[in-house]
Amino acid sequence: MSELNFRKRHSRVVWTVIHILLLASLAQTVLAQEHQLPGVVVDEQRKPIPGVQLSLQPGNILRLSDSSGHFVFVIAKAGTYTLTASKEGYSMFTKTYAAGNQFKSIRIVLHPIGQLLEEVIVKDRHEEERRQTEALTIDIVNKNFIQRHLGGSLMQTLSRLPGIKTIGIGSGQSKPLIRGLGFNRVVVIDKGVKHEGQQWGADHGLEIDQFAANEVELIKGAASFVYGSDAVGGAIDLKPAPPPPLQTFGGSVDILGKTNNNLYGTSTNLYGRNQRLFFDARFTYQNYGDYKVPADSVFVYDYGVALHQNKLRNTAGRETGLHLNTGYVSDKSRTTFYISNTYSKSGFFANAHGLEPRRVDAAMHDASSRDILMPRQQVNHFKVINRSSYTKGVHSWEAEIGYQHNKRKEYSQYVNHGYMPPSCPDTLGVSNYLERAFDKHVYSINFRDEISLGKHSLKIGVNGEHQQNTIAGWTFLVPAFRQSTLGAFAYDKYSMNDRVILHGAVRYDHGQIRLQEYRDWFPSGDGPDTEYLVRAAPLTRKFNSLVWSAGINYNLEQFELKANIGKSFRIPIAKELGANGVNYHYFSYEKGNASLDPEQSYQADFSLAWKARRWSVKLSPFYNYFPNYIYLNPTSQYDYFYGAGNQVFEYAQSRVMRYGGEVEINYNILPALRVGLLGEYLYAEQLSGNKKGYTLPFSPPPSGLLNLSWSPTLRNGVTGTYFSVDYRLTAPQNNIVPPEKKTPGYQVVNVQAGTRLTAGKQPLMVSLQAQNLFNTRYLNHTSFYRLIELPEAGRNIILSLKIPFRIRSSGNSSE
Amino acid sequence: MKKQLTLIGMLVAMTIAGCSKDANEEPDTEYPAIDISANTFPQQCSEIKRGETFTYRVRFSDNRELGSSSVDIHHNFDHHSHSTVIEPCNLEPKKTAVKPFLLIRTYDIPAGLKTYDLNQQIQVPADVDPGDYHFSIRVTDKEGWQSIKGLSIKII
Repeated sequence: MSELNFRKRHSRVVWTVIHILLLASLAQTVLAQEHQLPGVVVDEQRKPIPGVQLSLQPGNILRLSDSSGHFVFVIAKAGTYTLTASKEGYSMFTKTYAAGNQFKSIRIVLHPIGQLLEEVIVKDRHEEERRQTEALTIDIVNKNFIQRHLGGSLMQTLSRLPGIKTIGIGSGQSKPLIRGLGFNRVVVIDKGVKHEGQQWGADHGLEIDQFAANEVELIKGAASFVYGSDAVGGAIDLKPAPPPPLQTFGGSVDILGKTNNNLYGTSTNLYGRNQRLFFDARFTYQNYGDYKVPADSVFVYDYGVALHQNKLRNTAGRETGLHLNTGYVSDKSRTTFYISNTYSKSGFFANAHGLEPRRVDAAMHDASSRDILMPRQQVNHFKVINRSSYTKGVHSWEAEIGYQHNKRKEYSQYVNHGYMPPSCPDTLGVSNYLERAFDKHVYSINFRDEISLGKHSLKIGVNGEHQQNTIAGWTFLVPAFRQSTLGAFAYDKYSMNDRVILHGAVRYDHGQIRLQEYRDWFPSGDGPDTEYLVRAAPLTRKFNSLVWSAGINYNLEQFELKANIGKSFRIPIAKELGANGVNYHYFSYEKGNASLDPEQSYQADFSLAWKARRWSVKLSPFYNYFPNYIYLNPTSQYDYFYGAGNQVFEYAQSRVMRYGGEVEINYNILPALRVGLLGEYLYAEQLSGNKKGYTLPFSPPPSGLLNLSWSPTLRNGVTGTYFSVDYRLTAPQNNIVPPEKKTPGYQVVNVQAGTRLTAGKQPLMVSLQAQNLFNTRYLNHTSFYRLIELPEAGRNIILSLKIPFRIRSSGNSSE
Repeated sequence: MKKQLTLIGMLVAMTIAGCSKDANEEPDTEYPAIDISANTFPQQCSEIKRGETFTYRVRFSDNRELGSSSVDIHHNFDHHSHSTVIEPCNLEPKKTAVKPFLLIRTYDIPAGLKTYDLNQQIQVPADVDPGDYHFSIRVTDKEGWQSIKGLSIKII
């Protein structure tokens, strides 16, 4: 099929391209009339810059500059083209060439950008371009967004985006929920390496310091072909800051305060670079007290708990983050070491450790709102990553090697449940207060090669990971285990013509998980028939999986269409295979299923966007089908022996159908005044099994966010001023599954304002936020505390200041 | 351009068509009930004698079909509380458990019932620690909704 036929018959494009894509050979299609557009990219010292990403519009033709900085575009016809050149650490270059049949060689000079002064809001197109050249639905947020909407954790900050919610506990701990899927169904990538914590627990947060995040890319939809197992619901890719500009030495200080939980914190950054070597260090500290809710008493089930000064007893916390990035940059290669340690210690609501209220010493807890007594959690996450890249000719190699150590401890007073002895014996070998502990060591390795072959951009790669997990404490839920996975993928992006990009990918994975035996330390049963129960039998399982993905981008001047269809998978986790213990938070006996199959998912994603001068509309629907979704099924049975008389919750697999989507509408009433609407909808239904007809747990209700923002240009050099109001409407969630409860709808107003001031030459960025402005009492359906009816945090005023400084700057800097 | 719009229209129509929902029976969202009345035993603050057998009587009901039930009797010498325990009964001072009475039992409910009267003999050994106890009753329905009711009792 020739190029010309495609142009004539746009309507057939979509249907034909998928076939073409699957058959696409690497040979470059010969065009009837070819024109060459050659060029070279250099820096201010006229040295060539390799590995610069170049894109030509219309057509989204992509190239990378070679080792001598050269590139060549092959285009079908003469016309007006916009060339964009971008590379980490340099400011974006964009220029339009009105060209006849003869193109001259183009010379592009890239200027290094200041990393942290951020005085200039670079109006670059790279976010838009990423969106236009990816077949999956993606959202990109930068540091400015994080500063504007700063929440208690990175995930709370991101939950303003449509389709993104959080599952969390308290004011500082949460993890992502993308279109209703969370836990091990969302992958978090930090500096190129999969972040591995204890993401299976609803009360566990994500161990990420939001001050260290530079740019966050959120992929909604099945992304297994890039990220392997677990990326069934989507992926969150945290990109590190680029290396500082040449010959600089500087830093910044962030100061933060919040009224609701009396938080104070700082994040201080120091960076420097000579010609080739650089470092970038950061220290973050946050200290907060118990958080306030708009209620003076709450009902834990139907047990009334009086609150002291509207505060949730013992929900205070501390967080520290230490980061050091250091590396070497040259024309062709780059290597960076990222070393970080995040630590958090936070309390659980004392009147309901989990869901069971205990008689608490209220006077002891109420003496201070900042102390962290029991029950509490302590989590430390240490990480070392090396990321290296090398560019030569058409190849661009990238590799990451990582080590992570996650240590989670939960402390509470010993309580004997079921057959446990009345007091904790000293012979147990653990502290009387250590309820449970999880210790995880993770070794990761990734390797990729991106090859530019004419209109094809082919990416091939391998990912490997090995985990060792041990447990401790006087309760048992999940056994110790070892897990290894290895995967390989090939992904081709084919820029067919100036409007159409086709994507095709395949991936193969092999995984192995080995559970260790666990035996109770106390006997169970009545009278003489007692037994030390084997909770977990040794188990080895091996899994293989082949997944694929195919997609298309169709871009016109004002209109963008994306479609993607793909298969993704997830290896069952240790908890799903080997849980066998009582979860006294839910009065449930959780029973794993050693014969679970790897979860498979088929998903179709679409995105339609229309952009005009004053307005834009984007619609992103999706449809998803699981032949064997793994879920924890509350049965009607009780188990008196292993389950100590509690309700049996059993892991099972069922067919599941989900659909939904997001909508985004923006309209500029005036150049500086904009109104926006973000909306999301999700429907999930189990099609087979014990819960046929029910939804999935943690399904977020439909919600909409109406925003009005005013960004005036003020005199006296004051820039970056904004005033913004968010009005969030959330519908009730009546579509529930045991043991959930129906959650009423609510309306919450948040406001944001900020500006950039200058005192002499010293810039200062101020951001102010009021979250839950009217102190509305509401319940969040996806909060861990929902089941015990705890309302969400009340009004919270957040003030944050950012003071960048530069001790030495390069002569070329645009300061 | 028209063809493009037709294409978009088709995609949207496909999406909406794919979203049509079966007109199935709505899933059950009602919890089963535990009825404590004059005819049931124990009651809040009931006293049970050591070395004797008592009859545990309770009525369960559900809008569709009951599942099964469980009972858990454990000491409250440490003065803990549960959400589902109504009130303590003149608590004795805290004390350390020596040989507390502990009973965990599950009682099946025959299939297909909307109401069920449970009637079970429970024996309390003569040598257990007397004092404050919790008597926790749990019931599920067939769909897996669970209700819990706790009573404070005394073993004398």
